[in-house]
Amino acid sequence: MSDWIQAELDPIFLTYAMVTGALLAFAGIVLAVLGLVMKRDVRSIWRTYRGWLLMAPAVFLALYLGRVVTICGIALLAVGGFKEYARATGLYRDWWYTGAVYLGIAAVTTVTLVHDPDNGELGWYGMYMALPVFVIALLLTIPVLRNRAKGQLQLVSLSIVGFVYLGWMFGHLGFLANSEHAIGYLLFLIFAVELNDVAAFTCGKLFGKRPLRSEISPNKTLEGSLGALAFSMALPWLLCFSFPHFGALELVLTGLIVGIGGQLGDLTISFIKRDLGIKDMGALIPGHGGVLDRVDSLIFVAPLFFHMVRRFHGL
Amino acid sequence: MEEWTYEPPGDLDKSWSDRLRDFPREPHMWVFALRSVAALAMRGWLRLYHRFEIQGREHLPASGSFVMVANHQSHLDAPSLLAAVPLSDLHRAFPAAAADYFFESLPRSAFSTIAINALPFDREAKGAESLAVCRALLDNPGNILVLFPEGTRSKDGQVGRFKSGIGRLLAGTEIPVVPCFLSGAHEAFPKGAWFPRPRKLVLRIGEARSYGDLPEEKDTVRRICAELQADVEALGGAADASDRLRVDR
Repeated sequence: MSDWIQAELDPIFLTYAMVTGALLAFAGIVLAVLGLVMKRDVRSIWRTYRGWLLMAPAVFLALYLGRVVTICGIALLAVGGFKEYARATGLYRDWWYTGAVYLGIAAVTTVTLVHDPDNGELGWYGMYMALPVFVIALLLTIPVLRNRAKGQLQLVSLSIVGFVYLGWMFGHLGFLANSEHAIGYLLFLIFAVELNDVAAFTCGKLFGKRPLRSEISPNKTLEGSLGALAFSMALPWLLCFSFPHFGALELVLTGLIVGIGGQLGDLTISFIKRDLGIKDMGALIPGHGGVLDRVDSLIFVAPLFFHMVRRFHGL
Repeated sequence: MEEWTYEPPGDLDKSWSDRLRDFPREPHMWVFALRSVAALAMRGWLRLYHRFEIQGREHLPASGSFVMVANHQSHLDAPSLLAAVPLSDLHRAFPAAAADYFFESLPRSAFSTIAINALPFDREAKGAESLAVCRALLDNPGNILVLFPEGTRSKDGQVGRFKSGIGRLLAGTEIPVVPCFLSGAHEAFPKGAWFPRPRKLVLRIGEARSYGDLPEEKDTVRRICAELQADVEALGGAADASDRLRVDR
């Protein structure tokens, strides 16, 4: 992916833009018919839909503006996501730990943006993979520096989960922007995890009987989950123009990663919210909750997909 | 094993635009950082552009909560009084600002919250509620409340009549109140002007007093208001006299 504005629009980019536009238009017409003609109450879905009308163009704009903007945009999402997590857990009261995690996210972004000093490739891969070592070391130093013990294990643990999961694992999505196939990878991932969500919801509504994980997310059903998995297994074949160099094995793995990983990411944020006793992580996007409520699946999927791709094709 | 306790903030499910209007506010790292930068910028501006000078800073109590009352001539007043507070107390100093003006729109709320740390004060319907908020603030040791008891900016530069709220707030409490007078603000940035002129600003801080011995009654409230108004005017008179002296020489 080029550093700045793409002079010529990638055909993959154009295809996704048209498909997304068509889907949004179609959904808008369906909502309008339901609401205006059939007089159903569609207000809450309408708010969610309006959220999409804002978010979808933002994604395409960031990708159009190039690698640097995309990576910085993903870093902003990581910062926003961590901020919500820190507030919800109460970690935000301690500025040493939150400051250290923000520093870690800044480091993630920096090593993603620079060139590898050894071979000149985009993104300093070795340092990226080593970063958790340094950030965790920094976090463990904080209680020592402040000569404090009481309650520090909780703060250190919350910070490590916050950095590793919400900063570093999610940051793999940014690192993907360094690939020459970045547009295809990123657009496919975003598109696939969101459709995976929709598929789980729809299949759950249509066939749902048995609860999937009753203690974590009582509204999800086993049937919905399996339906979403089946849908996600098919999607890479349908959208194989996103990665023309993929063989059958990669397409199957991509389907598994999105189908299973996406739902695990969803359930991960759900169990965190359940433990904290809150409904939404934030109130940033009307109809969608917070950043984390929106990108929960991507956090889980991005690093798995990244390492799968790197194993077979390099970046 | 002991269970972890989580302490999410009280405003967790509010959107950030609602949080900007909330009071009292939850501490927020980024707001604090921006406010510190804004305070440094405002202090620099006052010092360089208005040759700002503070006299009697030693009268500010070193610890505990206190109230600063001052004459109100311009939008430079709150930044000038804040500039007298040590930077370490910046986030605990709250100028009371009219809710109907300073918290009317989102950009204004953002500015009032982030840069000024303003306390939204209802001038009309819920004045008593706003006073209760002020009282709760002062019950926490270490908070500084900045009040302009005239309730609005003076049109001609003269000190207007102090409203009764300040008297009701202070009667029967040991909380020290520090009278202040800012001179030059009317010339620098009168009501209606849209950009400040480079006139000199001088802030005079008088001696603190408190009204623990006075019960909250109609005449004591009136007396407190009159006394504080006289204090502020006296500081202003002293400022005028020294200005005249300077001119005579």
